[in-house]
Amino acid sequence: MSLYLRQIKVIFWKDLLLEFRTKERLIAMAAFAVLTGILFSYTLDTTRLRPADVAAGLIWMTIVFGGLLGVGRTFHLENQDGAFQGVLMSPVPRDAVFLGKILANFLLLYMIAILVLGVFTFLFALEIRSSVWALLLTLALGSLAFVALGTLFAAVSSGTRMGETLLPILVLPLLLPVVIWGGVVTGRLLAGRPVSEVLGSIRLLGAFALVAVAAGALLFRFVVED
Amino acid sequence: MSTSELRRIGTMLTVLGLLGLVVVYWLSFFWVSTEASQGVAQRIFYVHVPAAWTAFLGFGIAALASGMYLWLRDERFDRTALCAAEGGMVFATIMITTGPLWGRIAWGTYWTREPRLTLTLLMWFIFLGYFLVRRSSENPEKGKRYAAVTAIMGALLIPFIHVSVLWFRSLHPQPVVLRTDGGPALPGDMLTLLLTSLGVFTMLFVGLFMLRYALEGLRNDITLRTRKVIV
Repeated sequence: MSLYLRQIKVIFWKDLLLEFRTKERLIAMAAFAVLTGILFSYTLDTTRLRPADVAAGLIWMTIVFGGLLGVGRTFHLENQDGAFQGVLMSPVPRDAVFLGKILANFLLLYMIAILVLGVFTFLFALEIRSSVWALLLTLALGSLAFVALGTLFAAVSSGTRMGETLLPILVLPLLLPVVIWGGVVTGRLLAGRPVSEVLGSIRLLGAFALVAVAAGALLFRFVVED
Repeated sequence: MSTSELRRIGTMLTVLGLLGLVVVYWLSFFWVSTEASQGVAQRIFYVHVPAAWTAFLGFGIAALASGMYLWLRDERFDRTALCAAEGGMVFATIMITTGPLWGRIAWGTYWTREPRLTLTLLMWFIFLGYFLVRRSSENPEKGKRYAAVTAIMGALLIPFIHVSVLWFRSLHPQPVVLRTDGGPALPGDMLTLLLTSLGVFTMLFVGLFMLRYALEGLRNDITLRTRKVIV
């Protein structure tokens, strides 16, 4: 394995270990996702509309809000005791640090995204058996795009006085493609349409995720310069 | 160009631009012929389209200058990006207020899920983030870098935002001047007025930009001098 990949792996494991020892973000995001799902299900007047018709949009908004909650605190622990300075002083290139961090964040958010899908399937009586693989793929691509943008701007916002309150303002405008393509694909699949109908949107979502990851890896070094 | 020269030329262009704006208003109310299908409401076109052009000019310059700043670390690029972004913000606000006013009459709705509308609105918010990031950074150098990263990320992802909204059917009028099939499709007097207005708005933008740039330079000088006095 090349040195670069090993460096990414080291950062990835470090973040994951940190997360699974404290479980702070995981518990917060999971509780948030479940509670939001429950509240959402009570906001709908089920005598007038079928919950399954609006589930796709709610699923994506829950993932976005839950993601902001968890991904926004990516640098929180490391900033508190100056540990991030240590990471930056290590001979690991900055883009490897970024890729390691988004991989760890991705794993975290993807678990939450699957949980969200499960919660909504349970509460909204969704029919997902026929398209579960396509749904999982869409959630993965959307989560990847989200963590790429979220991690980059979490680094930005944690360096400002406004802190995490700034994160949504920076990330939400850029997330529109994820919400549109993710929402369209999920909505169609939940309505029982064939995967071939939404393949184009899944591809575009994937392209968006890749560009977001590449751009984040390029720009991250300018954010954490000192 | 020295700061005083910048201010002189900037003031001149701004005054000329403002006078030109009066002329454009007069022409669009009293001179140009009324469009057949949309009636008088179409006259807002001579403000809306030039404002849109100037807004995207400003945002484009801001994104390019941000990239140059990260690359070369020359203060002047950061100043250029800041001043162009502010100009872009002003004209984008004009664009997003005139658009719905016209849309209410022509489309029967203020807002619709439409590529160009969404793009502009999100651009506006991306640059709102740009200013917030700058402002809330304790260390100004950091703020400049953060802002540049925000502008570049916005510029990179804008094509995706555009493509994603193309999902929805477009109500927005198609281009009438720069078209792929043949020349402009506007009657003579309308085209003349539109081009005049484009020139006037661009002049106003450049004038305001130069004034703002000079002001930012003066502010820098003062900060440097106070620092020297304190030391």
